[in-house]
Amino acid sequence: MPSQPDPLDPLLDHWSKTPDPSPRLASEVWRRIALAEKDEAEAQGFWGGLEAWFSRPPFAVMFVASCALLGLFLAEVRVNHQQRERSTQLARSYLQLIDPLLNTDSIARQP
Amino acid sequence: MNRTSLVLLLGLAVGLGTHQIYFQLHRPGGTDTIDGQLAWMKSELHLSDAQFARIKELHEASSPRLRALAAQVARMQAEFAAFENTRRVSDRVDFIEFAQFVETRRNINRQCLESTRQLVLASADVMTPEQRAHYFGIVSAAEPFKEPQQIN
Repeated sequence: MPSQPDPLDPLLDHWSKTPDPSPRLASEVWRRIALAEKDEAEAQGFWGGLEAWFSRPPFAVMFVASCALLGLFLAEVRVNHQQRERSTQLARSYLQLIDPLLNTDSIARQP
Repeated sequence: MNRTSLVLLLGLAVGLGTHQIYFQLHRPGGTDTIDGQLAWMKSELHLSDAQFARIKELHEASSPRLRALAAQVARMQAEFAAFENTRRVSDRVDFIEFAQFVETRRNINRQCLESTRQLVLASADVMTPEQRAHYFGIVSAAEPFKEPQQIN
């Protein structure tokens, strides 16, 4: 005996047909993610954002490496500065070594 | 201590550490002896070992004479100060003595100029034209070389 058609069947049949996604779906998803991240960052404040960044191991490693490179760069600048000063001082000392008149005041050079 | 502070302190420590280690390894040495000055000349002028040995020999040979002249110049300077003091206190000047002083000082100055010129020209003889040009640039402040065209 044929059973009575279930009224849910057409509805279930309709539900099983997945509609094609909207072409703007991806952009909308990214927009909502960005909005959510922005809201989260604003809620955390500066320190919260900083902690969020430093909690990521790659960022922490990059930060420490950057500190090391900055230290090396500043040391190189300092070494160059000292070498220039040292060269000037040695040039002056050498001139005094070869020219006895440079060791004295201008009095000694007056005729 | 939270993780952020730990990473910040670690970065600071690593930065300072690398700075200090690099600086200590590369800082210029400080010596004002004749050997230190000649070593500086060697690196500044890119002298070969043979050139350096010859130039060192020339400088060491002339060093006692230049020192003696420097001592004489200092003595003349002290004498001049004594003359000036006498003139200021007693308002008297012994012109004969002062003329002798001026003549002696002129002789010493001439010897100084000649000694320096000989040493510089002998050193320049050992160098290549590029080294010589650089060397004359360094010594151009010395009294005998105030006018660079005189040495060519």
